[in-house]
Amino acid sequence: MKKHLFKVKQYLLSGVSYAIPFVACGGILIAVAIALAPMGLEGPDFSQSPFLKMLMDIGSSAFSLLVPVLAGYIAFGMADRPGLVPGFVGGAIANQIGAGFLGGLVAGLLAGAVVMLIKKVKVPIYFKPVMPILVIPVVASLVVGFVMFRFLGVPIRELMTSMSAWLQVMGTGNRVVLAAVLGAMIAFDMGGPVNKAAFFFSAAMIKEGNFAPMGACAAAICVPPLGMGLATLLGRHLWTQQEREAGYASLAMGMIGITEGAIPFAAAEPLRVIPVIMSGSMLAAVIAMLGGVGDHAPHGGPIVLPVVDNRLAYVLAITAGALAVALLANAIRKWRGAKI
Amino acid sequence: MKIVAVTACPTGIAHTYMAAEQLEKTARQLGHQIKVETQGAMGIENELSAVDIQGADLAIFAADIAVQNRERFADLKIVEVAVQDAIKNPAALFSRLAE
Repeated sequence: MKKHLFKVKQYLLSGVSYAIPFVACGGILIAVAIALAPMGLEGPDFSQSPFLKMLMDIGSSAFSLLVPVLAGYIAFGMADRPGLVPGFVGGAIANQIGAGFLGGLVAGLLAGAVVMLIKKVKVPIYFKPVMPILVIPVVASLVVGFVMFRFLGVPIRELMTSMSAWLQVMGTGNRVVLAAVLGAMIAFDMGGPVNKAAFFFSAAMIKEGNFAPMGACAAAICVPPLGMGLATLLGRHLWTQQEREAGYASLAMGMIGITEGAIPFAAAEPLRVIPVIMSGSMLAAVIAMLGGVGDHAPHGGPIVLPVVDNRLAYVLAITAGALAVALLANAIRKWRGAKI
Repeated sequence: MKIVAVTACPTGIAHTYMAAEQLEKTARQLGHQIKVETQGAMGIENELSAVDIQGADLAIFAADIAVQNRERFADLKIVEVAVQDAIKNPAALFSRLAE
């Protein structure tokens, strides 16, 4: 069983290993563009600077490859070269459906498993050359694509719509509960569909003149990457050198409100990291809501501080959330060790 | 013993090379011959040739991610460990090989 978990972790890390440079490229270019552009009511305003807009677009292109590369190389880790095609295709479909990073993980594992099964089929020697260039790419992509479109895409889309309908009803209800739910959703998949559902609800509320949901989101958005980065700084001996290096990148992405910065940590140990960052983001969102934080721009993290109401409460919320994540993550490390 | 080894960590900039260094150092101390291929962020370096692999008694994979071009080692006994094992306690790893 332990051997098995080690294998699955190795598959997931293979995907992460190839995806990291894409996160860095996209994250940094987008961040530079956002940081240099004036912050308007609708978010960063690129109307005056086509060059910054181009930086933004280059960064976005790199980000859009993140999920396919993640899925492709998870499948590569499992099934070697024949895994690449169904993995990439499955990841691209996950992107297209809006299933985000979790969709990519599932698509990659599925593609790898399908190819592993096909490779077990005994074929006559004269048929062998056709397998890797024709049969496996077509058959495996068909299976993965079919499952993604037919079985996984629909539930995710339904989850999304029911979630946003539920949010609309709750908007008039208990504000603390709303903040906790938004915070949990923001952290849950780090930039995936659940995160985006909460984000778009809050962004829509800005247009209605209600800046509080976005204020809660803005605080929650930066807590997972800031918290995980802070954890590697506070408990240096608990983390491997490569995790500490990922920690620096994570901190930088947290500062500019890119939740994806925590993905390397969450992808390696999803069952541990995701609950921890969810609780930290919930705490930050609730403090922001109670402190009357309002955010006028649809973006999060310390970078939007200039367009936030009640800045002190905003800083307090982020600090508390990130500290909670760091202390919890390190406590779990200390208690259970680094291995799953 | 003649040993070939591959090291690979997820980021591929530090641990891959630290593990390679430890394996080489320990093997030399114990009087083994070793050649270590690193699969890092810059790609494959110090690549193992077919002759290297044919002449080896066994292969060590110290990797936290999938090893590339694994099929080259099809005829060889492979010992698989985590990168940390090679860095922290290479001596224990080599005493396991002796068994």
